[in-house]
Amino acid sequence: MLAPPDGQEERAQVARAAQGDARAFTALALAHRGAVYRFALRMTRDQAAAEDVLQETFLTALRSLPGWRAEGEFRGWLLAIARSQVLRRVRRRVGEPQGFEGLDSVEALGVEAGWGAPLEAEALRERVERRATLETALARLDDVEREVLLWRDVEGLSGEETARLAGLTLPAMKSRLHRARLKLVALVKKGGRDGEEPRGG
Amino acid sequence: MARNRVVGELSCFEVLARLSDYLDGELDEAARRQVEVHLQGCEECTRFGGEFGEVVAALRQRLGGEADVPEAVARRLEDALRGQ
Repeated sequence: MLAPPDGQEERAQVARAAQGDARAFTALALAHRGAVYRFALRMTRDQAAAEDVLQETFLTALRSLPGWRAEGEFRGWLLAIARSQVLRRVRRRVGEPQGFEGLDSVEALGVEAGWGAPLEAEALRERVERRATLETALARLDDVEREVLLWRDVEGLSGEETARLAGLTLPAMKSRLHRARLKLVALVKKGGRDGEEPRGG
Repeated sequence: MARNRVVGELSCFEVLARLSDYLDGELDEAARRQVEVHLQGCEECTRFGGEFGEVVAALRQRLGGEADVPEAVARRLEDALRGQ
């Protein structure tokens, strides 16, 4: 993976790119295209659609950069653009609350994930070693759950940035993230035996 | 059905509900200590917490650091940007 530049260097690149410096924008694209493509592929599960999202995201960013107020991280801003591009393609209402996220649900999800069940650490360790098992489990989550996991746990965005991207308050995002993680644990434990891989992958 | 014991000041369920915040380092000192006291006295929660943390860590380690975009995709992106 191409490492993103550090914060100070990136801010300077963003400022230059906003003034029309094509080389600065290319450097930013190089540093962040992997994150945008991964997110698009995991949300659309279609390589052609993911490539479209990638291109549209950077073309939109190029046009919009002079007006960007630099609130939050540049990668977060790109992922917000990518999210809107994904939405246009999957036609899902990502961001809409999905039912009551209450304490009972967490308990039920915990039981499903093996809370209170016998030890199976070795089997679990083998499963998380396999990328395909994680990908399959991720693919089986609802869109709104998958996106917070991708932003927070895969891309490593802060809780605040993830909440902003998801259009949620921080507590609501944390609740969704916790539920998504519990569901993922349950799915990984099932081992993805009957899962499917992304199309064209 | 999972057991729900009170160890220290927290029940197993209260620990389950706080696992993500604990893992992310987002509990204050007192809350973090409450969770740790429970974990020290509850084998089941320690085991489940370990599994939970292992899966979350694997997301970053296995999926976050993978290769850049495919070469052909990168080339088409560069062409699209050059065309602007």
